[in-house]
Amino acid sequence: MSVPEVFPLSVGPITGHAFNADRSQVCVSLNTNEAQVMAYDGTGWKTTETLSEHDKLITSIDWAPNSNRIVTCSQDRNAYVWTQVPDPQTGVVTWKPTLVLLRINRAATFVRWSPHEDKFAVASGARAIAVCSFDEENNWWVSRLLKKPIRSTVLSIDWHPNNVLLAAGSADQKARVFSAFIKDVDKRPGPTVWGDKLPFNTVCGEWASPNGGWVHSVAFSPSGDAMAFVSHDSSISVVYPAGPGLITIKTTILPYVTLAWTSEGSLVTAGHDCQPHVFQGSENGWAMVGSLDSSKGSHRHTGQRNQIEAFNRFRQADSRGSQSEEDTELLPTVHQNTITSVRAFDGTPEQVIRVSTTGVDGKLVLWDANAVAPVAGLTGKMGGLRM
Amino acid sequence: MDTAFRKINVDLFDEEALLPSELYDPDPRAAAQVLADTREKSGAVRGSLSRGDIAGALEVVLDQAPYGEGVDEAKALNLSSVLLILNSTKTSDIPSLVKHLTQQQQDTLMKYLYKGMAQQGDHADVNGSVMLGWHERLTEVAGIGCIVRVMTDRRTV
Amino acid sequence: MANTLRPYLAAVRSTLTAAMTLENFASQVVERHNKPEVEAAQSIEVLLNPLVISRNENEQVLIEPSINSIRLSIKIKQADDIERILCHMFTRFMTGRAESFIILRRKPVKGYDISFLVTNFHSETMLKHKLVDFIIQFMEDVDKEISEMKLSLNARARIVAESYLTTFG
Repeated sequence: MSVPEVFPLSVGPITGHAFNADRSQVCVSLNTNEAQVMAYDGTGWKTTETLSEHDKLITSIDWAPNSNRIVTCSQDRNAYVWTQVPDPQTGVVTWKPTLVLLRINRAATFVRWSPHEDKFAVASGARAIAVCSFDEENNWWVSRLLKKPIRSTVLSIDWHPNNVLLAAGSADQKARVFSAFIKDVDKRPGPTVWGDKLPFNTVCGEWASPNGGWVHSVAFSPSGDAMAFVSHDSSISVVYPAGPGLITIKTTILPYVTLAWTSEGSLVTAGHDCQPHVFQGSENGWAMVGSLDSSKGSHRHTGQRNQIEAFNRFRQADSRGSQSEEDTELLPTVHQNTITSVRAFDGTPEQVIRVSTTGVDGKLVLWDANAVAPVAGLTGKMGGLRM
Repeated sequence: MDTAFRKINVDLFDEEALLPSELYDPDPRAAAQVLADTREKSGAVRGSLSRGDIAGALEVVLDQAPYGEGVDEAKALNLSSVLLILNSTKTSDIPSLVKHLTQQQQDTLMKYLYKGMAQQGDHADVNGSVMLGWHERLTEVAGIGCIVRVMTDRRTV
Repeated sequence: MANTLRPYLAAVRSTLTAAMTLENFASQVVERHNKPEVEAAQSIEVLLNPLVISRNENEQVLIEPSINSIRLSIKIKQADDIERILCHMFTRFMTGRAESFIILRRKPVKGYDISFLVTNFHSETMLKHKLVDFIIQFMEDVDKEISEMKLSLNARARIVAESYLTTFG
């Protein structure tokens, strides 16, 4: 069981992180309007360059591994694509921004490159998703908006491996799969379980968790045949359009806000409980297997810890008429505050070896995706499905 | 000059505005059906309680609880049935009763606990210590996730 | 009624922990703005169901959650006129200094005595479990303070009355 590698990057929250192809550099946004590119120098991450063009908080960053381009989006309604070019005056290789006209009139919340890296999609508070592709003729990025039937801010998006389908989770409590087929950029895709013959802005399906709740994060499985989403009602749902449809697992802990698939049958979720949990399953059912955080005491989720402390304190106060002073400042988990982003770090999409998480506590942590410490009873039922 | 247009509420005409009723799936049963079902259940609950079968009474009242708009009478009736059960349970029985509920039923019970506490001034049957006792036991079993679900679920009972 | 204090505070604690799941959310209504949604109340889908935890008719806590902020309102026990006056003066003292309090709201919500507004910016800079601990501690302390003030008020009034009336033999 390998110990997670912890890198405290800042005191405040980390709003977005993205690694480059060989994982030697990471681009992060430390709750400001600037993005920092950091390189690993053996012991920690040191800033090598600061990308400052945005006016307001940068909400999301993605790094295209093959074409080596960074895209950042921010609450100032803009997105920039950064490419590494030699500076004309000094010859030093720096990151140069290109403004993308998203044509949205509210903040951008999330951005992801498509698998072939010829398009990227930006989710926004304008109740729309801007799908941007490069127009060679005019040498700029053009965007097309996916609007209907989104009724509220789009919180998260994920691309299907075929480069055409896009999953979106929104604050109107629905997770949808759209077709983002752009005529001149994409070749007509083959039929998938989500449908075939899909012009731009077709809705392949709309799902919601039974108890409602904003959909914080969506992700397609490595093969693209299933889609998982986490919503604010402390549940995680997996959609199999070809099979049983929607499978929902409700948990007894605080809601998750992010997830990542580690193989076709397992995924890692993290959120307000400050530790990554692993779920495994298939079309027959899903269950929580355990936590990646094996710190002492983290087998009790953080909410429960406070309750048990409160009970003990009051019981002692009742019996002894005084208060005990054993007030622990730190949470028992590695992350001290909500984890906002989990991404695959090592391995192939079908078999992820390590995942990286960043959170509101300013830490970047690398976890071994298979080092699962079992936790009992967090999903309200003992035992789960074993692969 | 006609100035009536100055007084209209523009937001009512906004087609894109989200209405509270659009945030959840409405109850497939008609309002009259819901009321009839609830009356039936209330009778069944009284029967179960007189026999001492509290677990059965709980299951009957927590399944298919009336929610949404237009069923206020049914909601009030169901709340009284729930309160009747909660008040007639011995404190020592609560943990085992709560453990045997399904997740769906635990969520519904939590919704009724909060609804009961909200109406503590108006409703005669609501007893603060009973509500809090049940809340504590239910949270121990169902966790904080249950409370989060009460907050997010727009199907208010 | 001391035996309901523990479950009352435990219920408030667990509900508050469940509600304190906040994230940065830019306004959907006004561009380039970031407001606490529970105060702006413009988009119903980002507001959650308000919950009430009550111990009896006179002591209640209302929690109104949303995606980036929580409003917590407390109704303090005021058994008689003296306690009502003391509570009023106490809350005025605090709300007058709301700026240094950070999470205090200057005006309480209608029907309650004191209100807090916690936003995602607060939960980013401060530890969430400590914020919850603080509020629970506050609820306990307010009751204690008011009882203490009432006792000292009565004691002082008795001393004053005694010393005045002894002059009359």
